[in-house]
Amino acid sequence: MVNLIINDKPVTAPKDSTIYDAAKINGIKIPILCHDKKLKPFGACRMCLVEVEQMKGRQIPACTTPITEGMIIQTATPDIIKARKLVLELLLLNHPLDCPVCDKGGDCDLQNLTYEYQVNSNRFVDSKFQHKIDYNNPLIERDMNRCVLCGKCVRICDQIVGYGALTFIDRGIETKIGCEFEDGLNCEFCGSCVSVCPVGSLLARPFKNKARFWALTKHSSVCGYCGTGCNLTLGVKDNKVLTTIYDENQGFHKGQLCARGRFGYQFINSEKRLMTPLVRKNGNLVEATWEEALEIVTARLRGGTSVAALATARLTNEELSLFKKLMIENVGSKNIDHSGGYAHSALTEGFTRSFGTTAAPSTILDIQKSDYLLVVKTDAYETHPVIGFEINLAVKNNGVKLTILSDKRGKLSKLPDARTAVHVPGSEVAVLNAICKSILDQKLISATAASIPGFAQLESALAAYTPEAVASQSGLTAAEINQIAIDYASAAKALILFPTGLAYAGHNAELASAVANLALLTGKVGSEGCGVLCMNEKNNSQGAVDMGFYAQEDGLNALKILDACTSGAVKTLFIAGENPLASYPNSAKVKSALDAVECLIVSDLFLTETAARADVVLPACSYAEKEGTFTSTDRRVQYIKPAIKKIGKSRTDFEIFSSLIVALGGAAPASPAAEFAAISAVTPGYAGMTHTGLGVEGCFAPVEVKPAFVVPQSAATPVEAGKLALVTGSVLYHNGTLSQHGEGPMFVCPDAYIEMSRADARNKTIIEDDLVTVSSPSGTLQLKAKITPRMPEGVVFIPYHFPAAPVNKVWSGSAVTMVTVAK
Amino acid sequence: MNPIAPIINGLSITLKHMFMKPVTLQYPSERPKVATRYRGLHGLKVSHSRAKCVACYLCPTVCPAKCITVEAGEDSSHNKIATRYEIDMLRCIFCGYCVEACPVDALKMTGEFELANYSREDFIYSKERLLEK
Ligand code: SF4
Ligand code: SF4
Ligand code: SF4
Ligand code: SF4
Ligand code: SF4
Ligand code: FES
Repeated sequence: MVNLIINDKPVTAPKDSTIYDAAKINGIKIPILCHDKKLKPFGACRMCLVEVEQMKGRQIPACTTPITEGMIIQTATPDIIKARKLVLELLLLNHPLDCPVCDKGGDCDLQNLTYEYQVNSNRFVDSKFQHKIDYNNPLIERDMNRCVLCGKCVRICDQIVGYGALTFIDRGIETKIGCEFEDGLNCEFCGSCVSVCPVGSLLARPFKNKARFWALTKHSSVCGYCGTGCNLTLGVKDNKVLTTIYDENQGFHKGQLCARGRFGYQFINSEKRLMTPLVRKNGNLVEATWEEALEIVTARLRGGTSVAALATARLTNEELSLFKKLMIENVGSKNIDHSGGYAHSALTEGFTRSFGTTAAPSTILDIQKSDYLLVVKTDAYETHPVIGFEINLAVKNNGVKLTILSDKRGKLSKLPDARTAVHVPGSEVAVLNAICKSILDQKLISATAASIPGFAQLESALAAYTPEAVASQSGLTAAEINQIAIDYASAAKALILFPTGLAYAGHNAELASAVANLALLTGKVGSEGCGVLCMNEKNNSQGAVDMGFYAQEDGLNALKILDACTSGAVKTLFIAGENPLASYPNSAKVKSALDAVECLIVSDLFLTETAARADVVLPACSYAEKEGTFTSTDRRVQYIKPAIKKIGKSRTDFEIFSSLIVALGGAAPASPAAEFAAISAVTPGYAGMTHTGLGVEGCFAPVEVKPAFVVPQSAATPVEAGKLALVTGSVLYHNGTLSQHGEGPMFVCPDAYIEMSRADARNKTIIEDDLVTVSSPSGTLQLKAKITPRMPEGVVFIPYHFPAAPVNKVWSGSAVTMVTVAK
Repeated sequence: MNPIAPIINGLSITLKHMFMKPVTLQYPSERPKVATRYRGLHGLKVSHSRAKCVACYLCPTVCPAKCITVEAGEDSSHNKIATRYEIDMLRCIFCGYCVEACPVDALKMTGEFELANYSREDFIYSKERLLEK
């Protein structure tokens, strides 16, 4: 701690503080315009001028000056106030002063400072800027006439997002913020720049003109898309979620969001939301009352083991736990599952046998504390962008080394000094085994590894995975594999990350065990900055696993449930929020299962492709309308409460399951809080948690590891002459099929496409945007071609989120599908 | 006191008034002269044949009766305009704060005081009815 005197008051502050930080910690406000605590100090605006006695009373910027012992600082002398007023006068000289039409009015730093410092007139005269306003994209409007050149947008896009879309162009009075060729912004639309812009230069167009900042009620919540579990603030007016509001103090990510979190909220108040229950009569779905619909459902649920349930991992923990109770205790069936039954297998099978737990033994906070990151698939950025920002910060600020093991390149590969080992699709388990083998051969294992059960079996099984042998089938060189082994094993702290999800069939129990072996062999589990992070797809994927909402004992898993529907063993299928027709592999098979089942009950926000085939459709609520908890991918349990009233006659799934339990003669919990009390009593790691106790920060559920070595089975990598290897996955702007109802995601990425290498495109004389036919044994699909340098020759990529062009027509659930692509 | 005097006094006043100009206004055949700063029905000012209002949301914010509804939008050249502007006259207390708050002098209060209507809906004045003619 350093001692100093600010405004005649003796204070202390940490050694690495700036004057601004020191004042802030001690409750002294210094005005800022260009400073943001997430970004490196810049010193562009001179609003934060202070006087330091030791510097002969010169005025220096507080945001860039580090403190020293014994500094005597004045923050608000008449001279400083005069200087700040001058700064504002000069800024207002060219500023258009169009607050009445500017959307930032009410939330604008320049407006607030002008008011605070009472800058009512201007001694100078100059003309206003006449820059052209960028209306080229539907999400972000750029009006450089209002810009105060604070550089925050440039810095956040570069330092945190790592995209670098914006920069200062021209010089002197002509300086402005520009993008590539000044041709309209075309970036990943995370909206980070909008969130930090202190004035109305960068505006979120989906919210533009909708309301003034002060008219919004702010509700803090948790993003309803992916498993990162970002905190966000919803801006609500007239029972409508109109925007997401930036709060730099929220969450580990300090208010950073990705494109879907920031711009994908429109599904909440979508016109297409289901408003009333629907019941099939004479072949048509017609509106019905809740009593009528629930009566039919209750009657059908009396079917014992001929009833099965699929839930989406977007329900709250309380809902999933209640759904499980309904099925097991009141219906008497163990046929419950989520996420296709395989997307959670890395946790429920892989980690269970390797770590003795169903959760990852690391947290997102470990990323920045590590020394070395091994990321399986560049898709980790697309599936969990805010975790991607953390990786970016770790690499750029902390010098963390990054290696990516992937079947294609991607944004992560572009980070400074990142190494990408591009392997043949489907060979990742073999490669990881070879890395383990190399670690064994080079005697890089930790002292304790040999005492972990299963070591001998692993050692002998790995004999077949010499780097040389794997090199030939994986397309890597033995030297590359050995290098990764050395880098990983010799790092003091190392973390492995891999995404899971419906589109990542290969990221299963085998892959989980393969990475677990690697961490266990080198002793990189259980300490800070070390371990394995399984990045789950949906906002409550981890919760669904923790609640045990998956097939256990003799229960059928998701794919077997669908088979049993076709065979007639399952007669009633209750689907809460999943859309298997669009997201599960092999749509033809799913379709015949849904057609064959006697009674299909669907609760959902929308009339999805699956709901349209149902016999009873129950309108459910979005996360903004309910109370409960979500568990993020690193087991942060977070509490959400309703931000708006329920839409139409919709009910929360919690209410639906409660009424069904009562109708079947059981006793339902009084409230989500009561159900959570029951959950915390039985769920490992949740002990002692309560809704009120979780607070705004949430709580980590601790993970206890009981290590064991398991021999992971590597799949053979398919090769067929003339065919291309299809890998499926997520795109940055979407998550599951829910984001199809978010305006932002659909503006930026409205359709599915097939991404291929330049070489393959040349061979097949395909050019960008050509309509190509993709065929596999399970079907054909027509898609637009997108030709990118990131794809290796022989590999094509299709994202899975789009029911309009469902990849599951050609993809039947294998990690790699061989397809023919023709014009 | 003479008991007759007050009666005479009273009658003389009555008589005097019979020859004076009546103070009551013969409404509706006679119209009152409204003071220039009278606060009657609102009017949205027009300039260059379009409403001056830029939908800044300040008048609905300041209105103590919360009776102004504004929805903003853009015209084809990205100018901000009020796509909806409504005042609920049943709730308005004619305080004139809205006029005072307007940063672009787009709103005024006219001398129009005949605001009676037959149904509640008719008291909600839309943008078209408020635009100055
Ligand atoms: S939206 Fe994101 S990627 Fe695009 S310019 Fe802004 S910060 Fe950069
Ligand atoms: S656009 Fe906004 S954030 Fe970027 S430099 Fe200008 S004022 Fe700062
Ligand atoms: S989608 Fe995931 S990464 Fe994006 S804001 Fe939501 S939780 Fe965060
Ligand atoms: S006159 Fe007063 S009460 Fe009436 S609309 Fe204006 S601000 Fe509201
Ligand atoms: S204050 Fe004036 S410009 Fe703003 S909304 Fe009201 S009438 Fe329109
Ligand atoms: S805030 Fe310190 S120079 Fe801008």
